[in-house]
Amino acid sequence: MNMLIAATGFVLATLTTAHAASTQADFDAAFAAAQAAEKDAGGLKNQWTTTEQTLTAAKKAAGAGDFDIAVAQAKQAEALAKASIAQAREQDTAWKAGVIR
Amino acid sequence: MRIMRLIPLMLLLLAAVRPTAADDSVNPDADFKAFRDYYTKRFPNVPLNDFVNGPYSMDADLRKQWQAIDDFPPYDFAVSRGKDMFATPFKNGKTYGDCFPDKGIGVRQNYPYFDDKTGQVITLELALNQCRQANGEEPYSYVKDEMASLTAYMAFTSRGKPFDIKIPNDPRALAAYQNGEKYFYTRRGQLNFSCASCHVQNPGNHIRTEVLAPALGILAAMPIYRSEWNGMGTISRRFVTCNSQVRGVPLQPQDEDYRDVEYFLSYMSNGLPISGPGARP
Amino acid sequence: MQGQRNGARRVLPTGAVLAAALLVALPVLAQTPVMLGQTLAFDRAKGNCLTCHDIKGGDAPGNVGPPLSDMKSRFPDRNELAAIIFDETRRNPLSVMPPFGRNLILTHEEIESVVDFLYTR
Repeated sequence: MNMLIAATGFVLATLTTAHAASTQADFDAAFAAAQAAEKDAGGLKNQWTTTEQTLTAAKKAAGAGDFDIAVAQAKQAEALAKASIAQAREQDTAWKAGVIR
Repeated sequence: MRIMRLIPLMLLLLAAVRPTAADDSVNPDADFKAFRDYYTKRFPNVPLNDFVNGPYSMDADLRKQWQAIDDFPPYDFAVSRGKDMFATPFKNGKTYGDCFPDKGIGVRQNYPYFDDKTGQVITLELALNQCRQANGEEPYSYVKDEMASLTAYMAFTSRGKPFDIKIPNDPRALAAYQNGEKYFYTRRGQLNFSCASCHVQNPGNHIRTEVLAPALGILAAMPIYRSEWNGMGTISRRFVTCNSQVRGVPLQPQDEDYRDVEYFLSYMSNGLPISGPGARP
Repeated sequence: MQGQRNGARRVLPTGAVLAAALLVALPVLAQTPVMLGQTLAFDRAKGNCLTCHDIKGGDAPGNVGPPLSDMKSRFPDRNELAAIIFDETRRNPLSVMPPFGRNLILTHEEIESVVDFLYTR
């Protein structure tokens, strides 16, 4: 039942947001935000390979003109980068919990 | 790679950047005892020196398979090649032996050491490339066969000698040790693993069919011939691949964090015998 | 029609995106949740559960985690099971189980499918 509700919600969301397709400008903005977050993660020496792969996929989709996919990928990359930043920040103190004493 | 030519210069610059004070509570001796006790208590039937054999100390079947290949160890060619390379003079007539104490024979167990001139941890791999560059030669890749051959030979000349890593009474050395300890226990990558996740919390357990090695003594067998890689792997290669396996973007080989974690792990293994070069599944 | 661009670029028409969404969303047209859940659980790039857990139907499992059996009776509240998959470090800060939800390895929908599959084990 949960699956059917989730599925319906997903479709409704797609329908209600089915405005004009994403543009190059939309992609550029989303990609810049993702890159900025990934750069911050790099400053913390905690980038994920998944983030890098998603950035590459976003760029590739944009190059092929698939801006809806490209924007979605760029947003996912930004979310991944932010999650890696959150991990680094938390671990800056949390690492001590596992130390053999 | 061009960047490798810059590493010695970078180290001098980094010397100014490294924090000069460690956390007041850092106590390597206490850590060392606790670390050793943890493994000997968890594995009371494993003789202390056997921990350097990694997964073979944890799993009897795996040990049998290892013993079966011991007559023709797969790292033999790397040792021979390393021996030849070691003896071959640089273009300027000097040799590797001129860069190391005791002509570089039987010294592997002293690495890494803390260099008070640069304020940096010097690993064996780094020392070898510094030697090359000091003598007008291009540095080798830290993850490829030349470095593996050289370190395989040097490890071989130290077989059986106990790790003898020193932390001088210098706040920078303590900071390096503590940075290494932090690196070891910090979760990273999308999979959220620290080195400790596998090598402290799960030694002897297996992920799919691969038996996890204990962190105690884990660098003693390096470099290794790894069947999965169909070839040799240096410490640098192992650190890089472990990072990417947990979906973390690896650091540059011989990054300060990598050298510091090698320092920490080697100190934790003081007294355990060099067993390298090794063979692993 | 919406989504038409000049001939030089190919852009997915919104209609095609919707059709694809419907195909994925309505289980009756695609895999069942249980089938999808098993695929996700056994896929090394997704759940990769066999690396640490013995699960009926899987080969060469690891033993870092407990075997996953009798799941319906052990976890009658599916939200509890979903929470474990989402982020087990909330219950056990030293857990080595990857936080599949928090670290964006699996979506909420994918976690629900995995729960559906685990309930058959």
